[in-house]
Amino acid sequence: MQEMFGLFSIAKLLREIIGQYVSNPQWVDLFMALINIGGIFTLISLAAVVLVYAERKVSAYMQMRIGPNRVGPWGMLQSVADMIKLLSKEDIMPTGADKWLWVLAPVLLFVPSAAVYAVFPFDQQAIFADLNIGIFYFIAVASQATLPFLMAGWASNNKYSLLGGMRTVAQTISYEVPMAFSILGVVMLAGSMRMSDIIAAQQDVWFICLQPVAFVVYVIAATAESNRAPFDLVESESELVAGPFTEYSGMRWALFFLAEYANLVAASVIATTLFLGGWSGPWFPGWIWFLLKISMMIFIFMWFRWTFPRLRVDQLMSFGWKVLLPVALVNVLITGIGIYTHKLFS
Amino acid sequence: MQGKGLLKGMHITFKRFFGKNVTIQYPEEKIVMSSRFRGGDLELDNNKCIACGLCSMACPNAVIELTTATDEQKKRRLASYIYHSGRCLYCNLCVEACPTKAIRWDKNYENSTYFREQLDVDCLAIAQKAEDAKRRSSDG
Repeated sequence: MQEMFGLFSIAKLLREIIGQYVSNPQWVDLFMALINIGGIFTLISLAAVVLVYAERKVSAYMQMRIGPNRVGPWGMLQSVADMIKLLSKEDIMPTGADKWLWVLAPVLLFVPSAAVYAVFPFDQQAIFADLNIGIFYFIAVASQATLPFLMAGWASNNKYSLLGGMRTVAQTISYEVPMAFSILGVVMLAGSMRMSDIIAAQQDVWFICLQPVAFVVYVIAATAESNRAPFDLVESESELVAGPFTEYSGMRWALFFLAEYANLVAASVIATTLFLGGWSGPWFPGWIWFLLKISMMIFIFMWFRWTFPRLRVDQLMSFGWKVLLPVALVNVLITGIGIYTHKLFS
Repeated sequence: MQGKGLLKGMHITFKRFFGKNVTIQYPEEKIVMSSRFRGGDLELDNNKCIACGLCSMACPNAVIELTTATDEQKKRRLASYIYHSGRCLYCNLCVEACPTKAIRWDKNYENSTYFREQLDVDCLAIAQKAEDAKRRSSDG
């Protein structure tokens, strides 16, 4: 059953069906590639719609409220209504804005958020590009999301937006370092940067058991990377209105939002792949396990957001450099010693 | 230990997540106001009232306007009892002044009306109507 309902067998079935109608194999390949890309984009946009609703419900329940409950059954169509509102909203550009940067920023922000989905293993063999430097590609591409924030902040011609943009740069660069080191522990254990190899290395025991410290460091750094509370200094409402998003409205603003939730999913996917065994699990097809695990990770990120208050900028920086980075470095050292002694005795 | 507070906070939000909600969905659900809530209109008990007029005299804003009449048994009864809620400051002095506890608050918090005149409540008519309804239901 695991094999039969796996994404790979579904894709194979689809390929056969298309093959009956299209004779040229190159055209079949093209169609399959388009379907795959479409699937990923559908996933991203659906994730944003579902997660906005989920976030509002989670926050409501944690604050002993009910949350959205008027639009559709249990308020489930709330985010659809929000989307329609955003689509029909007036597009306002502030006077004195740097026009090109301002227009490009939301689009460019979405590009790296979507590009990282290429290396995510959704199921057995269901990976768009199984690069031999998969996790490195993720770190490299995901960190590109910093620049559009600064662009948006600069182009808005607004001091609060600019402050927000500068904060993103400081924050993302600071937390990139411990995050890379926490991932390094896993890579050392797996002996490969290829996503499928990392999952294969976790057949017996998940890396969260072998690398608990790295997991904690990763989760903290990923929260900071995706600019979510308690590290949401970039868009901190009480200080900077909405940071770089302040001047945006309508669909442009929605793109920022889409990228934010795409980043949240991406952070959860990496946590799942590196520490929780990815898609592997008994009985059910891999993609169900994958969905379950990333939902759990997303819940944990939301749990953080609705529990902790925001840090101050100086606390954020000193925590990143003085606590998280040494912990991650020591973890790498201990992992190295562990691997060396393991090799000595076996 | 450093960071213990974080776990404590997460424990609290997790408990709240599965706990009961406190939201009351107003138009569909309404709360019963507390026993000492002062608000809404005055509820008059015509059987208890001795038409002494102390409530009207206690009122600092002349909100209660009552007239009296003497019945066949030479007993003073209320002839009219108008409560001008638009002027009322809900000080509770009238309720405290009543020697027979004939008036109390009906604890209704939906007080807005479309016209100013609707703020003048004929408490006697309401009391008589309620009495009639009660009698009718006990008769059959």
